[in-house]
Parts: sequence; C-alpha cells; structure tokens
Amino acid sequence: MARRRLHEFVRALRGAGVRISPAEAEEAMRAAALVGYGDKNRFRETLALTLVKSEEERPDFDRCFETFFRFEDQQPGEQGPAEDAAEPATPTPPDAEGLSPQAAELAAQSDTQLEQSLAQAAAEIDFTAMQVITQQGLFARRLLMNMGMGAVDDEILRLDASQRPGDGERAEALRDWRGRVRERAMAHVRRQYDLHGRAHGRALREHSMQAAPFRELREFQQVQVLVRRMARRLARSHQRRQKKARRGELDARRTLADSLRYNAVPVHLHWRQRRRTRAKVLVVCDVSSSVRDAARFLLQFLYAMTDVLPRVRSFAFAARFDEVTEDFERYPPDVAVGRILDRVSGSGTDYGTMFKELEEACRGDIDQNTTLIILGDARNNDLPAGERHLADIARRARQVFWLNPEPPSRWNSGDAIMARYLPYCRAARRCGSLNDLSRFTDELLRGLN
Amino acid sequence: MKTRIDSVDDVMLSFARQGYICDQRTALAVYLAAQLHKPVLVEGPPGVGKTELAKAAAAFLEAPLIRLQCYEGLDESRALYEWKYGKQLLYTQLLRDKLSGTLADTDSLEESMRRLGDLGEAFYSDTFLEPRPLLRALRADEPVVLLIDEIDKADQEFEAFLLELLSDFQISIPELGTVRARHQPLVFLTSNDQRELSDALKRRCLHLYIPYPDAPLERRILAERVPELDEQLRDQLVDFIQHLREQDMKKLPAVSETLDWARALVLLHADSLEPELVEQTLTLVLKNEQDAELARELLPHWFRARRAR
Repeated sequence: MARRRLHEFVRALRGAGVRISPAEAEEAMRAAALVGYGDKNRFRETLALTLVKSEEERPDFDRCFETFFRFEDQQPGEQGPAEDAAEPATPTPPDAEGLSPQAAELAAQSDTQLEQSLAQAAAEIDFTAMQVITQQGLFARRLLMNMGMGAVDDEILRLDASQRPGDGERAEALRDWRGRVRERAMAHVRRQYDLHGRAHGRALREHSMQAAPFRELREFQQVQVLVRRMARRLARSHQRRQKKARRGELDARRTLADSLRYNAVPVHLHWRQRRRTRAKVLVVCDVSSSVRDAARFLLQFLYAMTDVLPRVRSFAFAARFDEVTEDFERYPPDVAVGRILDRVSGSGTDYGTMFKELEEACRGDIDQNTTLIILGDARNNDLPAGERHLADIARRARQVFWLNPEPPSRWNSGDAIMARYLPYCRAARRCGSLNDLSRFTDELLRGLN
Repeated sequence: MKTRIDSVDDVMLSFARQGYICDQRTALAVYLAAQLHKPVLVEGPPGVGKTELAKAAAAFLEAPLIRLQCYEGLDESRALYEWKYGKQLLYTQLLRDKLSGTLADTDSLEESMRRLGDLGEAFYSDTFLEPRPLLRALRADEPVVLLIDEIDKADQEFEAFLLELLSDFQISIPELGTVRARHQPLVFLTSNDQRELSDALKRRCLHLYIPYPDAPLERRILAERVPELDEQLRDQLVDFIQHLREQDMKKLPAVSETLDWARALVLLHADSLEPELVEQTLTLVLKNEQDAELARELLPHWFRARRAR
C-alpha cells in the first residue's frame, strides 16, 4: 500500500518536471521505510533528500507533496481542512431512517468518517491513468461507486417511485446530500488531475509550444520556463564539449625534436593544445513589430547561456539603433524588452543605416573571432540596401549568420531584400519557432567551440 | 567506527555536543547516508558549514576523516594513486648488479625475458604504490569518512571518474585490477555551485542543501560557539546579520563571518552594537568594499528601526 502510494507520488513529481530515475525511487522507498511515516516533516525531508537533486526543484516538490499527501494529514477525530475555502460545504447527513442498511451506513457517517471513506475509495483507484481534463467526471463517478454510493442511488429511485407521503421530500433531501458528496469527490479528483493529468497535458503543450510560431507564444504562460530550460539543456551539452576540446593530443613533432637532447629519450612530452579562441558574438535584432517576438526569444536564449557564451554584445534597431547589452544583463528579459522598445521603437526600419552605424559602433570589436548574428526580415522600406557596409563587416569578421522569422519563400517578396545581403552571410536560416531557435543555437555553439 | 546509529535525534544530539548546531534536515541526511550507504552531495553558499558537517560526522562516527580538495586539473594521479617513480628508478640502479647476476646463467633470450618478467611484477607492487586520498579511503582498515571538497571545481572528466567509486565503492586501476572498499566509507561531496554537476553524479547521491541559517538557528550556533558573548548583544548581532542577508550584495556574510565578528566583539569588550563600533569592525563581516559601503548606508536606518521597536 505504502509502496504504491509512493510510486504514485514519484509519478506525480515526474509530472511536475522533477527528473527521477527508478533507482532513486527505490532509494526513497528504503529511506522512507527506515525513517517511518509518523512525523510528517521528517517524512517530507526524507523524500526530499532522496528525490530532489537540486534546490531549484524544491518548490515543485513541496507543492506536490502538499497536494498529494492531503488525506494522510487528517487524523481520525480531527476536523477537515477548514482553511481551504474552495472545499465544498460539509454535507449534513440526511435522515437515515428506513433506508437500506448500506445506504443508511453511508448516510449516517460523520464528516470526518465520510472523508475517510472517500480516501479509502480513492486509494483503490489508479489516478495516474487520468490524462485529459474531460476524464474527471468518469473518475469521480468511479470514486463514488467505490464508496458504495450505488446503494444511495437505488434508495433515491425507490423513494421517488414510492407513494407513501413524505417519501418525495426524503428523496429530495437524499439527492441533495448526494450532490454535496459528489462535489467533494470532484474536488478530490480535480486535485488528482492537477498531479497526474497535468503532466501529460504539459508534455503535449510543451511540444506544441516548441513548434509554434513566436507570435502565438505569448498566449502560453509557461513559455518563459520552457525557454530557460531549453537554453540550460543546450548550454549543458556544450559545456561538456568545450571541456573536451580543450584536452590536447600528443604533439609528436615537438616531442621528437626535444628528445634529441636526451639521447632520443622523450623526457618532455609536448601536447598539441587547441588554442581556445575567445568567441565574440554580436547580435543585431530588428525590433520592429513584425520581428519583435523572435528578437525577444533569441536574446533570452543567448543570455541564458552566459557560461558557454561569455561575450555577447547585442544591439537593437527599429527607427533608431542602440546597444542593449546592459539591459539584458541587468533586467529580466521582459523588462529588458520593454526598456529597449521605449528607446528604439518607431516605424521604418533602415538596414543600410543600421549596418553603417554598427560598423562605427564596434569597429574595434570585429575581428576573426567575431560572429555576427542578424535577426530581421530584411524589409528595408525601399531605402538603399547599404550592403557595402555588411560586406565590410563580413570581410573582417569570422562569420555572419542571418536569421529570418519569415519562410524563405517570402524573403524577397515586397520590400524584403534578403538576396542583396545573402552573399555576405555564411548561412541564413528561418527562425520562426523555439525549435528553429534551439537548432540554430546548437549549430552556432558547435561551430564556436 | 560506530556501527549503530539509533535515530536521527542521536545524530543531532551528538552534533550538538561537538558544537555543530544543525537543523533536522542535515541530521536526517547523515542518518540516511550512513544507513543506506549513499554519498551525500552537500550544496549551499560558502561559509555555511558544509566542510564542518563532514568533520562533525567523522567525530560522531568515531572514524578518521580523509579529505580530497578538488581543483581544476585534478587527475587520477593526485586523487587516486601514483607510482613512486623515483623509488623505482633508484631501485633499478641499486639492483643493477644483482640483475646482471640473475641473468648471468641464462643462455637463451626467452629465459632472460621470463626472469625479467617475474621481476617486473615486483616493480608494480604495493612497495612502489603511492596511495592518494581515494585509494586510502578504500583500503583503510576501518571505515572512514571521505570528504571530497568543492567537487564543482574539478573537471567534468574527474566527476565521471568518481561515478564508479560513488555507486559501487570500488575503483579500477589498470596495473592492479579492481580495488574494492574493505569497509564502505561515508562519502560527503561539497559544491559551491560554480558549475552544474552532471545528472549521473547527482543521481548517485542524497542531495542536501544547507541555506543560510534562520535567526533562531544562528542564535543557537552563536551561543554554542561564542558563549562569552553577551546575550543581548548576540540578539542584536544576529538581527543585523540577518538584515544584511536580505540585501543585494556581492558576497553575503556567512556563519563563519558571524562567528568571526562575535569573537572580535568579545575581544573588544563590547556590550552593545554602537554605530561607531559596527563601522570599525564591518570589514570582518563584509569582504567586499562595495558591500561594506552599502552596509554603512544602511546602518543608520537599521539603528533607527531597531530603537523604534
């Protein structure tokens, strides 16, 4: 019993985004058995020690724990959780007289007893099978049946059909009572759905978030969390690669040459060390209304990986052109974007002037270690393209990437002039969703380290 | 080593007796680690007593403490074992005559090779083996407490290398084969969160996070470690430190700084926190000039608020 409950708890935790391996779950069982279930605080800390592997996950764990072990909280004789305002009102037991024994027994139960039979009935149901929100009704029904409410249903039907005076009112009262018990059951099922069903729904939602166009992402609430997590995952995998590349291999030529001094004994080994270039990244983002969303996510992505990309300078332009590095370093992305928009927004993007100003602003910063990333739709409002400046920058920099939020078929339609800039870019990619963004960043880091 | 630990309270009591005051979570971690034979990964800001925890655990279990300090570039030859090259060279020089004697009466090449081969084994034996902390912990005659300090400073490769030790308490040495622990050591790893540790490592450990202590706990720690300090002054001091921790500072004062400061105040025969005194001794608590400046600005407000209370 306890094992099954714990397994369900582990599943609920996984649903909340905490990663737990089977071995860790097993460990938690052993630990819990060792410490015992008596002291709730101690029990919680035991599970936390074995299941939670970073302090960031701790709040998720605490929330899950509170929701999951609610029933266990209630000692016999103790009042139900009074502080929970959402809890349906206490059902007043109806008059049990003249009912079938089963129904009478249920109807005669005190509030606490009722809560306990609910908990018992709930323990027999595997709520982890609940995946979509519409299944809640079905599960509530199953829960009530497990409690033996079927007998009450029969009684209501019988009283309705009966001709005896007063039976009609009694059926009504019983129906009322049943309704309130059902509300309770629903509340419980809702909590279980929060624990288990949500996880499934969330995986689905994240999947669609990653593929959704940036414009639609604003409708999702969890997108900040997801972006941060994607960026962290990417950063972690590249951190490994970076360290690995640092290890040199044996430099046979130098070792042999040096060994001649010692009668061909290789006393000093020389290692070929890959010179670690300090990659510099310059990002220029078009923040006019059509591209703004993509810009926000790109910058957020890049600044979430400061440990693998230590030197990022960013610029934004719409009507004006300005450096925004500091805004992103000092403020959370949402605030930073707001500040930037205040400064540079306006209509009429002019790429030609932007490239000229960029060249002036970081003349000393563009060398063979510099990667320039341009994010924009290349809609130049029929102004001079100014590709000469981009050509100058591209010649001095290591590489230029262009990210365009629009599909390639529209890169040259209307006032868009991607074709004029493309010759100077190492690659141009479509960047319309988080998936695109993640793929590009991966490619970028692979090339840089 | 003490083999039986009765309960979590047992751990807590013993720690308190040694002057290591901790909350229930920390004691629980030590208890579970000892019972389940799992390493503990201790994280938390610097100066909250992560290393002290390992020392206290060693004292509690009456086991010797073996410590491995990690740093960038730490490798197996520093952490696990190394051959005593110098001794090997010296021995070959000294034994040269003996060697030619041994080989004198052989007439075939194979025979000499065989004899040399027997000898070779001798050169890679315990005599020439220099055990480093990890190997010492595995081969100790009694169970030990092994402290791997600041694992986040070591490279990723070293972390991967530790995995075998942490899950099976054994380590493979090419020349000697697999060395299994005679007695399973109790392992503590500490990390200051300089870089993220791998999931594989975290999975093998219990995870304990020690935050800055809250006011009651910090008062208890102070009372235990600096009993000479006047009680009223202690409350003031803790109150001030807790106030500082709420600020946006480069380096927040940790428990060790609180203790240092308390000891200094005792030496100065202070009996209450006065603005002047705080200003003069502030550098004991705040190690960064900008932080100290911020604190100086905060000081008058804090004194006023306190007086008002």
